[in-house]
Amino acid sequence: MVNFIKRDKDDIYAKPLLGFFFKNQKFLLSLKIAVSALFVYALYFGFAHTGKENTFTTAVFWGIFWSLFMVTTLPTFGRIFCGICPHGFMGKYITKYGLKKTMPKWMQNRYIGVMLLVFGWWGVYYMFPGLFRTAQGTAILFTVMTLIAFVVYFLYKDMSYCKYICPIGTLTRAYSKLSFTWLGTYKSACDECRTFECATACPYNLKPFTFDNRNSMTDCTLCMDCSSACEAVSFKFKKPSFSLFSKLQVLKAEVWAFILILASISISMSFHHGIGRSNAADIMIWSKTAEFLKNYINFGSIDAVGLFAFIYALIFTISAALIGMFIAAKILKKDFNTTFYDLGYSYAPLFILGSIAHSLEMFFLKGYEHITEGFAYGFGFTLDVAPLANRGDSWLHLFGLLKWVAIIWALIILYKRVKLLNVTKLRKIVAFPFAASLIIFFLSIDIYTGYIFKTYGKASSGHANHGGGEKLFQGVPAEAATILQSGKNKNSCTTCGMELAKSYKANHVAKQNDEIKQFCSMHCLAQEMSINKTQLEDIQTVDTKSLKFINAKEAYYVLGSKIRGIMTKSSKFAFADKNDALDFVKENGGKVVTFEEAYKNALDDFKPSQATDMKKPAINDSVYFSQSNPQIKKTGYGGEHNHGGDRVPTKEVWPVFEDSLGSKNCFTEIDASIYLLDANLSTTQATASKSAGCKSVSFKMPDNGYYNVFYIDKKIQDNTLHVKTAKYEFMRFNHSNDAVYDKEKMAAHTIKETPFDIVRIREEDETFYHNLYSGENLRVQVLLDGKPLERADITLRTKTLWSKSLKTDKDGVATFALIEDYFPNWSDFDKRYKNEFLLTASYERDIHGDINGTKFEKIRYSATYPSFYHPNNSQYRSYAYGLSAAIVTIIVSGFAIYWYRARREKPFKEVSFNEKD
Amino acid sequence: MKKIRDFINNADIRRFRFWLQLLFFVIFIYGGYFAINLGNSIPVFSCGYDKAVGGMCYFLPLQHQLARPLDVLFSVASISVLIGFVTFLLWFIIFNKAWCGYACPLGTMQDWITGLRKKMGIRYSTYTQPQFDKLKKIKYIMLALVILAPMGVGMGLLGGEWRTAFCEICPGRMITPLFVGDVSQWSLDFSTKTAMILTTLGLIFTGLFLIGSFFKKRFFCFFCPMSAMHYIFSDGALLKLKKEGDKCTKCGDCYNVCDMQIKDIADDVKSTNILRDDCIFCMKCVAACPEDDALHVDILNMKLFTSTKGGFAKRMEMDRLEKKND
Repeated sequence: MVNFIKRDKDDIYAKPLLGFFFKNQKFLLSLKIAVSALFVYALYFGFAHTGKENTFTTAVFWGIFWSLFMVTTLPTFGRIFCGICPHGFMGKYITKYGLKKTMPKWMQNRYIGVMLLVFGWWGVYYMFPGLFRTAQGTAILFTVMTLIAFVVYFLYKDMSYCKYICPIGTLTRAYSKLSFTWLGTYKSACDECRTFECATACPYNLKPFTFDNRNSMTDCTLCMDCSSACEAVSFKFKKPSFSLFSKLQVLKAEVWAFILILASISISMSFHHGIGRSNAADIMIWSKTAEFLKNYINFGSIDAVGLFAFIYALIFTISAALIGMFIAAKILKKDFNTTFYDLGYSYAPLFILGSIAHSLEMFFLKGYEHITEGFAYGFGFTLDVAPLANRGDSWLHLFGLLKWVAIIWALIILYKRVKLLNVTKLRKIVAFPFAASLIIFFLSIDIYTGYIFKTYGKASSGHANHGGGEKLFQGVPAEAATILQSGKNKNSCTTCGMELAKSYKANHVAKQNDEIKQFCSMHCLAQEMSINKTQLEDIQTVDTKSLKFINAKEAYYVLGSKIRGIMTKSSKFAFADKNDALDFVKENGGKVVTFEEAYKNALDDFKPSQATDMKKPAINDSVYFSQSNPQIKKTGYGGEHNHGGDRVPTKEVWPVFEDSLGSKNCFTEIDASIYLLDANLSTTQATASKSAGCKSVSFKMPDNGYYNVFYIDKKIQDNTLHVKTAKYEFMRFNHSNDAVYDKEKMAAHTIKETPFDIVRIREEDETFYHNLYSGENLRVQVLLDGKPLERADITLRTKTLWSKSLKTDKDGVATFALIEDYFPNWSDFDKRYKNEFLLTASYERDIHGDINGTKFEKIRYSATYPSFYHPNNSQYRSYAYGLSAAIVTIIVSGFAIYWYRARREKPFKEVSFNEKD
Repeated sequence: MKKIRDFINNADIRRFRFWLQLLFFVIFIYGGYFAINLGNSIPVFSCGYDKAVGGMCYFLPLQHQLARPLDVLFSVASISVLIGFVTFLLWFIIFNKAWCGYACPLGTMQDWITGLRKKMGIRYSTYTQPQFDKLKKIKYIMLALVILAPMGVGMGLLGGEWRTAFCEICPGRMITPLFVGDVSQWSLDFSTKTAMILTTLGLIFTGLFLIGSFFKKRFFCFFCPMSAMHYIFSDGALLKLKKEGDKCTKCGDCYNVCDMQIKDIADDVKSTNILRDDCIFCMKCVAACPEDDALHVDILNMKLFTSTKGGFAKRMEMDRLEKKND
């Protein structure tokens, strides 16, 4: 025994705060007592409050301990979960006064615990998904486990329960090998020790002084009892999973734990909850098997699909591991068992890191809210907290990184463990991918799931998972809905056919000639009554609170709360009691109105929106392409930007016309020809979108380069042929390193189909990064039948209504200086601001001719070309300040160094003593 | 065979290094004019802001890739990130940190500035050991910036100016394009506050780079995140700097010639792999070592260049001759 030892730098016991947490016995004891008290209280609470409102018990067990705390600590600090486990803590004292028998050989089997977890818990979970989700179920489960544990502790010595029976005992032992902590001893002190206090103190009868030599902490649960017995015990920071990098005594159950846990959690979940939520769920083998066997076996309340997803996951995972390792063993010319169990340790990170990702994500989405509110409930006060994150928050994807870390980590462990084998290098290299079969399997399931979702898409109504997907407020379970109508389609809305239970709280019923009709919402009622003019009377609606039908005319409606209506712009919920309605308003906003007012609002949904009427450009309107849908006011991100992936980027533009007053309209019908000139200079006829409303032109841009869309319209009116062309030019560039700027292809091109065209002349030094900037000159050329046109009128008009008109010179060229007219506040300044402008060229000439027999005397040409320019960087970049910053730095630091050096070099001073003094 | 070995071991590594550095400098800075394009996963600071760059510093594409929205980043599109990374590793894995000592244009520039200082007869500065231990951590902070800042943009936590935050403050962005006559980077961007701060820092660091590398050999390499990134993967590299401690007499010659002031090269007689995170693999230490085989550069466990008594003597002789000529 040692009373004092000089601790190494990496010893956690020597760290200021962590040392206290892990070493201070009083703190540890009180922590363990507190956790046990919480455990017992939560159990009691589960029995005392069996209802759904008891979120406390589930918060303690499923919110904190199981999964969140366990998986986050296991691969980091190790088995500290076991260290504070109430079973272990209380078991220690029970054993002390117990019978201390030796456990019979048949029970000394770690597979008992593993199998209990895999089949007893996860198998049951997939068969009966809702079983232990209630507070009471949880309490019963843990009480039974506690009783079993206490009996075993009482009978047998050395905490055998933890080692063999505890469902997570072997699992925590196995996964803690990944942690960066290590309980060991200082060898120098232990060499002289003959008393072995650490071993005596250990309730598990382990020998901490052998841990370093064995390269294994065996069953140590980090209860820290040994560290109080002897100072030579250390608890050190190490490289994560370092013990797996060198030889260690393998424990077969650990490898099987890795495989079975991976199968029953990660892979099963990928099957059942991942792929199971895609549209391809039904064609998967487990669904098919379940479907097939349903003909022969009555599954009762068992979730057959879940069960078979679980079984298949087990089969696939185990066979992936076995087959790969079998081949690897053959290549390595080693015994299968040695190979399998030696290399099987590399599977360790796969499940646990993915599980951390999931647990943390759930914690931010739901867990935090659940735990906080549950604890508040458990201790008798109410709290209402918002979740820390919302589904779809982009930063949550960060947890996706952990899965890749897991795969890379697993491969590193495998590499290190293969390295330890005593075979030739070539065999090792060849065997490696086979030994990695399960890792590759895990990766491919991940990619496959992604592929399934990409190809088949997400199923619209996901089945309820743990906690349930997004449920609509107005929906109720089908059995809770009162259906008053009868007939074959009695569960569907009379008007729209929607399932009534889904929007039950908004349901209305009315009588049509004594036949009861039920409607999903007031919207459908209004449609039937006011639009279809059906005679309906005796209207009733559902009281949102009691779910009973009440007379609608006397109900209090809450209009426009923040709960979204199903078919209407503003939701309407009815209440029998005005106070209930007011409470609802307090919580969700909106206002309390009568039936008449609500009904009037429902009718508003049917008012035609103004844009749907047909419009065509008048003959003097100018037509041009717009980057954004003029119907949608929000100026979205108009540009194409598509990094990565193999999708071909698509650009959508909307031809619009504008009259002399500046009002902008989109086409509902296009009777002009549209052409596309692609980056490879081939011209194709393009079509406008089929949608009614705003017609748009979409085109794919597979290559880098300029894409041009042409709109060409010829019409005769008042003996004049109006040739209207519009052009849209867009450069696609994927920022690829291999892109070659081919000047020939990138030059401005026109097509022979267009008689009149504006082209932007390329400058000498243009690259793929070309953009227009204010202050620069824009040179455009007007072409008539492909030849430069002199004295054509051309006007540039910016979004800010600055305009300039020029006439083209003899080469058909006009040069505009792009003015700067973007002067926002500094805080609003955007250097990528697009100052849009429109070029309009027009020309008239007197030519007689006819098209299809209609004569004309002159032709009026017009062409448009929209584009934009950014603020010039001289607006916001300053060389003067830049140079000064650098120069000032140079001068100041140069002087500082000089001064520093001069100060240290004291000039030599002769010290002379005058002997006479 | 022995002849070749003797030739290598007796070689004047400095001249070899000078010409190799010049060659790489031309390839990386002016490569574009010769239609050289070595891709954009180069493990040295051959800046992508240089229009004629012959192969781009990996950090610029890496930051752009990491700045994608996270759901895109962790989807199948991550394969392109992976390809870039693997290319980077393949470049790196053969030459290890010799990229720093022999290929990095920014490093070469610092060596030239050091040469200028030598000509001017001004002595160089060194850090004290505590300063050294503290300052060496900065490069990992820089590496964190390279990786986390763009991811922050991808997560939507940071504004778009953070996309290439490290490039904004990297002196290479200012200095490298100067060699092709582009001064456009020497300006402050006032478009947003973040951009203003980052570009100001960039120019301050440029000033520090110039003045620092004048007084301190390889001043910037000490803070270089690429160096930190190299060190993470240097265990797997083929080229290795090895030391046989039992042959070391701790004379300290290697430490004295070390541009990076790595004390372990003289002090540590335990480790065989003596490559440290600051090392630029210039092999000056091997050339300066007077003991047979005490320091050697291995490729695939074959000795490529080792310290020999003969080689040391020959190189010392050269020095003396050079001094006589002065």
